[in-house]
Amino acid sequence: MAFFGRHKPWNMKKGFLIGGGLLFTGVLLQVVLGPVRWGLFAWPVNLIVLIALLAAIGVMFALRRKVYAFEWMMHAGAAVPCLVCAAVLTMIMGLTPQVRMGGIPWLSQMLRFWPFVLIWTWMMIISALAALNHLLRWKIREIPFILNHLGVVVAIVSATLGSADTQNLRLTSFTGEPEWRAVSDDGALHEPGLAIELHKFTLEEYDDGTPKRFASDITVYTEDGKSVRGTVEVNKPLKVNGWKIYQYGYDVNYGTESPYSVLQLVRDPWILWVYIGIFMMIAGALCLMLFMAPKPVRE
Amino acid sequence: MSWDSFIWFALGGVLLWASGAFFAWKERKALVYVCTLAGIAVFFAFILGMWISLERPPLRTMGETRLWYSFFLPVAGIIVFSRWRYKWILSFSTLLSFVFICVNLFKPDIHSKSLMPALQSPWFAPHVIVYMFSYALLGAATVMAIYMLIRKKDATEKEINLTDNLVYVGLAFLTFGMLFGALWAKEAWGTYWAWDPKETWAAATWLCYLVYLHLRKAKPAEWETACAILLVSFICLQICWWGINYLPSAQGLSIHTYNVK
Repeated sequence: MAFFGRHKPWNMKKGFLIGGGLLFTGVLLQVVLGPVRWGLFAWPVNLIVLIALLAAIGVMFALRRKVYAFEWMMHAGAAVPCLVCAAVLTMIMGLTPQVRMGGIPWLSQMLRFWPFVLIWTWMMIISALAALNHLLRWKIREIPFILNHLGVVVAIVSATLGSADTQNLRLTSFTGEPEWRAVSDDGALHEPGLAIELHKFTLEEYDDGTPKRFASDITVYTEDGKSVRGTVEVNKPLKVNGWKIYQYGYDVNYGTESPYSVLQLVRDPWILWVYIGIFMMIAGALCLMLFMAPKPVRE
Repeated sequence: MSWDSFIWFALGGVLLWASGAFFAWKERKALVYVCTLAGIAVFFAFILGMWISLERPPLRTMGETRLWYSFFLPVAGIIVFSRWRYKWILSFSTLLSFVFICVNLFKPDIHSKSLMPALQSPWFAPHVIVYMFSYALLGAATVMAIYMLIRKKDATEKEINLTDNLVYVGLAFLTFGMLFGALWAKEAWGTYWAWDPKETWAAATWLCYLVYLHLRKAKPAEWETACAILLVSFICLQICWWGINYLPSAQGLSIHTYNVK
């Protein structure tokens, strides 16, 4: 490892070499294993992966004085090549139509493309190391840095690892008939553990005929014997037993007279951690402009 | 209030801003503030009037977002002036604001009253308004970057400091806009981030500005590279704002395209 050992401090070229190495490794993994199968990360695999990731970060941090690479990873100079790689891959994603199947090989399923996943993982690791490094100094003025770097890690890691546990179902409820079966994106039938009865679907329109309001007056019956009556409309979901129920669709052929309403049922056990991360990032951004921006220089 | 009366408010606003810019060159500080703030008030009166008569915040169409952009440019301009005393900044913000006003006058978009249900949310206004303010600041940072790159000489500490500040504050507002959008999306669609083309470009833009920030920390002497990154970032920002309406990869996939009929 003479190459990586000599000539301290490392320059950004080393960072780009690591980025290149990750891209290359990613391509190899893509060829050998095929695209990333996020479904495999369902509970408790995601918990194990999380523990392994945190352990790896902990070990790297503990060895930072012994292994120069780990110390280097905490600095802004290591973030630049990583962010450049992530930005370029994200731009490529924005230029290629993202579709479930087919399209441009590899690039049209960017979220399942190993190089993309590896680069973002690398970004999470160095951001976590940097946050840890500042956290242990334990000073008030380190808080903005910690909020920004830890916030992004908490939000993105829990969003990614939690994605396999997220249930997203569609339930079609006809007036006066409680329905307990729902369909997932892949067409499979599920029983989410609650039944929904539609009392009335409402569609209001503006004078020019464009839709103004969609709403479903429903009763939700749960397995533990509760029944909750409420109105679900766009931007106003109903929360019952850990499920969030959203207005999704209706019979467009009948419009205001639609005999059924399609409801979307979402359950995301990791959402609290995503929110914690997001609020840390919001607080971090506030600190970014109030405390982290350089002091104005006047002539 | 309707778009028919826009020209009068726009005229009043631009004349007052231009006077403010003129007094900045003449170093008459009090008059700079009076004129610029009066112009901002006149222009905001129109936005407020539209808000009331439309019975919704004027944020839905491309033309309506341009309205806010024209409003925030002088706001950003006067803030920069108050901190750095640049004589030219108000001339620049007035000119750019004028350009966007002209676009609205000569190429108005569909300005209907209806607001589709997905947009009826308390998150709608903050999401778009903080984005427009961020775009105004990052636009000013881009002009600074071009100015420093063209001169090729060593940029002064003051110029680099101003650019850094514009990016720090602009990026903070960009982050607010993105995260407010995520919180809103969760309430509207059940997912906070769906990698919709607009979201993908928002992420790319955000990463680009983070590159700038970290490069400035790691290599303060390489300001020319940092300026070049600002140009790339601003291109991403434009793709995110309106470019995706024309991008083949986003056709039929984005829920964020303007003026859906």
